Amino acid sequence: MNRAKRTGNRLAAAPALRTGAAALALAGLLTGCSGGAAGTGADEPAGEPVYGGTLTYLEYQAPTCLYLPAAGFYPNGGLLNQLTDKLTWQNPDTLEIEPWIAESWEINDEVTEYTFHIRDGVTFSDGTPLDAAAVAANFDVYGLGNEELGLTPAEFVNNYDHSEVVDENTVRFHFDRPSPGFLQGTSVIGAGLVAPSTLALPYEEQCQLKNVVGSGPFTVANHIVDKQIDLVAREDYDWAPPSSEHQGRAYLDRIEIIVTPEDSVRVGALTSGQADYVRYVQAFDEPTVEAAGYELYAEPTRGVNNGLYLRPANHILADVDVRRALQAGTDAREVVETIFTDSYPVATSVLSHLAQGYVDLSAELAYDPERANALLDQAGWTTRGADGIRVKDGERLSLSVFVAGAQPLSKQTLELVAQQWSEIGVELQIKPADAGSMAVDILDPEKTPLVHSMVGRADPDVIKSQFHTENRDALLSNDATLDQLLEEQSALAEPEARLAKVGEIQRYLVDQGYAIPLFEEPQVYGAAPYVEGVDFEAVGRPSFYSVWLSNQD
Amino acid sequence: MTRYLTLRLGQAVLVLWAAFTVSFLLLRLLPGDTILIKFLNPELGLTPEQIADIQAYYGTDQPALAQYLHTALGFLRGDFGYSLDTGTPVVERLAEGLPATAQLASAGFALAVLLAVTIAFAASHSRMGWLRGALLAMPSLFVSIPTFWLGILLVQVFSFQLGLVPVIGGTTFEQLVLPVLTLAVPISAPFAQILARSLDQVQTQPFVTVAAAKGASRRWILWRHVARNALLPTLTIAGLTFGELIAGSVVTETVFGRNGIGRLTEQAVTSQDTPVMLAIVVLSATAFVLVNLLVDLLYPVLDPRLKSKVGAAA
Repeated sequence: MNRAKRTGNRLAAAPALRTGAAALALAGLLTGCSGGAAGTGADEPAGEPVYGGTLTYLEYQAPTCLYLPAAGFYPNGGLLNQLTDKLTWQNPDTLEIEPWIAESWEINDEVTEYTFHIRDGVTFSDGTPLDAAAVAANFDVYGLGNEELGLTPAEFVNNYDHSEVVDENTVRFHFDRPSPGFLQGTSVIGAGLVAPSTLALPYEEQCQLKNVVGSGPFTVANHIVDKQIDLVAREDYDWAPPSSEHQGRAYLDRIEIIVTPEDSVRVGALTSGQADYVRYVQAFDEPTVEAAGYELYAEPTRGVNNGLYLRPANHILADVDVRRALQAGTDAREVVETIFTDSYPVATSVLSHLAQGYVDLSAELAYDPERANALLDQAGWTTRGADGIRVKDGERLSLSVFVAGAQPLSKQTLELVAQQWSEIGVELQIKPADAGSMAVDILDPEKTPLVHSMVGRADPDVIKSQFHTENRDALLSNDATLDQLLEEQSALAEPEARLAKVGEIQRYLVDQGYAIPLFEEPQVYGAAPYVEGVDFEAVGRPSFYSVWLSNQD
Repeated sequence: MTRYLTLRLGQAVLVLWAAFTVSFLLLRLLPGDTILIKFLNPELGLTPEQIADIQAYYGTDQPALAQYLHTALGFLRGDFGYSLDTGTPVVERLAEGLPATAQLASAGFALAVLLAVTIAFAASHSRMGWLRGALLAMPSLFVSIPTFWLGILLVQVFSFQLGLVPVIGGTTFEQLVLPVLTLAVPISAPFAQILARSLDQVQTQPFVTVAAAKGASRRWILWRHVARNALLPTLTIAGLTFGELIAGSVVTETVFGRNGIGRLTEQAVTSQDTPVMLAIVVLSATAFVLVNLLVDLLYPVLDPRLKSKVGAAA
């Protein structure tokens, strides 16, 4: 499914056509077009897939610790997605959960018991069987962690109590409270299934690639730390998700993942034919890729949008009027139009418009500097200093923020926002991402009144991950109402009611002025025209299982 | 001479110990301990109790002195602990990065010396004023070129436009050409400058006039007298350039995606991977001390007058 595929020369020349194509793509998404992994876009004559060949894939960063629950880092996820399979498969188009290693499952009415029936004949790459006991061992670690081995529990499992191996092919998970997000949780990259021998190792050992034994379509052939990882197809692989058109072994023989941190080198290597596929095409490099006739894939991450999150425990931001003023004084559209491209849709809520439970709050988030000024006057920040910055009781209306190293063009984004805020008399000081004090200061609302962040996951629980005081706690929240809303959401058994609650939370976050959503953050990839069957999981990590090369004889 | 050697070696060991202790202290003084920096990462979504468990697991809840002794003993045994970022032993990461950096740095250094000598001698030998001026201006130009810009320029022109050398894949030699060139250009600048100036200075010395008066050819004087005397200050600079070599390799390795110590340093600093940072500081200090020790020991070989002074001091 080449959802966001755009071929440059054609579309760049015709903006109207581009809008049309985007609308079509969106319509396709909404009607839930078939999600066959080897499907082809309507605009592309692909032919029959062929086996063989090596794909050269350039990564922006080297993978770090590969312990699965900590696999949120994109290079880690992009690698583990090829090496491990998941219990279930989330269709990236419909967001439905479909069978994979689990052939079927039952969930009790209280959503406190999940029973999975495991597919027969699946093996890890070391030959050991992937059976109910192996699945139970995986989720015991992901649900509870292991203090002795230094293993931390996974953020995508809530309220986990214990597992029960019913028989060789049946495993049941028990929760002490309803856990409606668990089914989706079994489909995420961090829930990749690894051999019991991997799970028995201490944290540092599980971090290392050589110890990750999965059941995925590829295995590791060669590894030069920080430089290159070579993957080879597993010949006996025969357990792709049943809904995938492609079954059996992967088409490619080999993938060479080469770490190439420099943006211009990645893009230049792609367009000069030295590489086939690259991750992280910067917004300013997109025209280069398109102009060379190469393809861009802007994959949505379907979670909490890239934005600024304001911390009410800070003494200036404790005033809701100030928070609302900053919200009204930020022009997200200008940020996107100045710094980014069409691949980055302007945010219209805290959640991406492709996220489950999304509500459109564009009216509430409209740019309105007059309202911002009025709100600040109302909050008592009436006088302005010589530099135009507002002052109250001798204190300047000055806030600071750290550049978010993980966000694309974070510094440029923050600089533009600072410029917008200076017009309403607010100073935004931008601090470098790698400051020694960052690790601690970022947890102090007085020193770091706001953060620039996002988080991708295709389940309503993503909103809890970002805002609950026991999860990422982006707001360093002191708001019990918010915590309660988030807990209710993550434990509502009825899907409709749960999505309604997610809508309520988005309204609450915007109404309280906690969030200034900027844009829906994509993962942007570039690929040579002969790379076919390009596919991604629900939050934009690549899957190479169905990729094939049409330039081979 | 033996006493001189022992003294210099003792100094070297002292410098290393100080480098270790000071960097240990500085890294500890960084707000938040190393484990916190890693595990407070909101992406992991850990509760304070879970983080406390992890601190106990890593022993960072121990008193500072105990940790210092533990780390110091580890270093003496060659055990530098684990990288917090990747979980691999730091020794393994250094062992993987060192050969790549050693290759790059030594080839870069050699090319820099070649470039510098060529420029300085060509300038000194040249009778044409404009050429001499142009050559002498080159070092200032070289030193002001930002390494990353030069690297990217070389890649764009030689790899992407002309297709002469691949940056992705390719043989070890092909992978070295452009990075070595990138590294050598700025490093050659101080050499060339000092060497050219020394050559000029030595040429005004009375003994050169004497040699010329005796009928020695210009070339003979240059090679036999001037060059030899001009070498000492250049050697001093060579020792000091080592630091620049490390700094240059950080940028060069990042631009070219080489997995050397330079990029390891950059990553360790960005992700605050303190065990790796500590090991790199000690490793760099060791290399720096060794290079300068070597330079000091070479002085008497090059200049007999220094030998007698050292002898007199002994």
